[in-house]
Amino acid sequence: MARVLVADDASFMRQMIREIVEAEGHEVVGEASDGDEVVEEFKRLSPDVVTMDIVMPRRSGIDAVKTIMELQPDAQVVMCSALGQESLVQEAMDAGARDFIVKPFKPDAVIATIQKVLEKPE
Amino acid sequence: MDLAKYRTIFIEESTEHFAEISRALLDLEKDPADSEAIDTLFRMAHSIKGMAASLDYAPIAELAHRLEDRMQEARESGRVPDGESLSLFFQGLTALEAMVEVVKEGGWPEAAAPALLAALSSRSGDHARPTAPAAAEATRTAVREPAPRVAFEGPAEVTTPRPPPTVRVRTETLDRFLSTVGEVILNTSQVRTSASGFETKRNAALGEGLDRMDRVVGELQRRALELRTTQLLRIVEPLPRAAREIAERAGKRVEVEIDGAELEIDRSILDRLSDPLVHLLRNAVDHGIELPEARRAAGKPEVGHIAITAHREKDNVHISVRDDGAGLDLAGVLARAVEAGVLHPDLADDLPPDAIAALVFEPGLSTARSVSEVSGRGVGMDAVRVTIESLGGSIELVSERGEGTVTSLVVPITAAVQRVLMLGLADEIVALPISKVERILEVQAERIERSGSDAFVLIDDELLPVIDLAERVGMAATQTGSSVSLVLTEIRGDRLALVSERIVGQQQIYVKPLPELLSGVRSLAGLTILGDGRPMFLLDPNQIV
Repeated sequence: MARVLVADDASFMRQMIREIVEAEGHEVVGEASDGDEVVEEFKRLSPDVVTMDIVMPRRSGIDAVKTIMELQPDAQVVMCSALGQESLVQEAMDAGARDFIVKPFKPDAVIATIQKVLEKPE
Repeated sequence: MDLAKYRTIFIEESTEHFAEISRALLDLEKDPADSEAIDTLFRMAHSIKGMAASLDYAPIAELAHRLEDRMQEARESGRVPDGESLSLFFQGLTALEAMVEVVKEGGWPEAAAPALLAALSSRSGDHARPTAPAAAEATRTAVREPAPRVAFEGPAEVTTPRPPPTVRVRTETLDRFLSTVGEVILNTSQVRTSASGFETKRNAALGEGLDRMDRVVGELQRRALELRTTQLLRIVEPLPRAAREIAERAGKRVEVEIDGAELEIDRSILDRLSDPLVHLLRNAVDHGIELPEARRAAGKPEVGHIAITAHREKDNVHISVRDDGAGLDLAGVLARAVEAGVLHPDLADDLPPDAIAALVFEPGLSTARSVSEVSGRGVGMDAVRVTIESLGGSIELVSERGEGTVTSLVVPITAAVQRVLMLGLADEIVALPISKVERILEVQAERIERSGSDAFVLIDDELLPVIDLAERVGMAATQTGSSVSLVLTEIRGDRLALVSERIVGQQQIYVKPLPELLSGVRSLAGLTILGDGRPMFLLDPNQIV
């Protein structure tokens, strides 16, 4: 069971990820609705995995990944992207994000990705 | 996955996004280089796209995607959107709203108009094809210099305080909770009354307990009243965009400034203020603000200015709608009033300007030369006045030819606690706001004169219409004995006498909003629950007659 921090500015998406993740027995320890909040919550909660939306107010998901990687280089961050954001996903991966999932979320894909990240930390 | 749950969240969240998009578009219209507005638009469109795609609402996702792309392009190029693009964005927003409305009603949205989709993407195609990176760079610099992007610069951005955490509560749940609080308050006063005989020395604890209960219940009531309030923002927020649309159709230009929207007002009052405010705004744009040429000729800026301001004074909210347009044509109003039979020609000559201005609130008077598409549709200023007065408020209009018009409303902040007169009609008891009662008197039955289906009574040398309340609310006519109880009241400036079977008494009541099933009954203003559990309806006197 992993402790997950969910970051997305849409509560719709946060709930959806929460439902998918909790159904698999993981625990959502926190939610963040912008790029600043996710960094703060990351510091406070030390989650096992962060699901990170790219487009968020205040600070983008990409910038948030960069900050989190500076704070904790072995942090496990999974980017949540939409079609057409390939180059942004690449930027996030270069910055240290471990993997990505694509909206609209398919529960199996979300779980498989989180599982993969948890099993093979670099 | 519980689709219904996500559909509800989608509707709520996208509706909030629409409000933000609308605000950002208006900001952008004022300042096309407002990069923060572009960022907001991009994020909102992106978010709507994501939600819609998750629920398989492809047409919504498609349209949101086009808007998102346009914003992305504006973000990257730093090129400011022109008037035509803005108009297109507004159309896109309207189309998205219509689609979500379909979802709300349980339907499946249809694809957006192909022309709109094409316009949204073709324009982006036209510009997004730089021939060489250098050329693109040159263009970018040229456009950017006068309007540097500021969104991510400076520490101010980072330290902006986050709004306090909130929870979303369904209106229904809140109403049920508030209605229970109302019952607690009523029950408390009943317990207090029936226990009054037992507060002896031996029962001192009972008295102390009751005092404590009163204090806590009083506190509960204050908090509950706070919960019933909503920011004025909810109904004024759509107004700038509405004004823009009305103005565009009339070939005018207008900007709307709002001040005091953070004021909190009882929800039941707020809901009924919305139509009157929209009407006042329409009037201001349609009949107040002049065409750009006329404004130029009059030495005014081409863009008309409308200010909606609100402030609180004691238990009332004052809201004014002020435009810098042509002002009221008093001579025209006077002529119309005489023509419509509202005013006797002999009186017309000596009427002071403020009395002439007040004539616009009379039924059957519209100053519009031609009934335009937006104004003069159904509700007139008289309907606005009736609504405001039935809320226990007042309205007045001051106009200066060439300078503009100010319409001011005063409405109470809460309608929740009211002192009422209780009247018995057969087995029912109904309540009338005490503020509407001039006096109660008993007269001999024969003093009521009948003429056909109408009845009159002579009071203070004035012949007043007599209205049988029971009949008005659809019950059998009141059977009167040798004497009749009359309640004198003034409705829309006219005194009249209401007949009821019996006068039950006065009481302070906690008024609850009507259940949805009854919300269309205009003569009812709310209800409360009596000690024996029966509902008692509060009548809206303005709507009875």
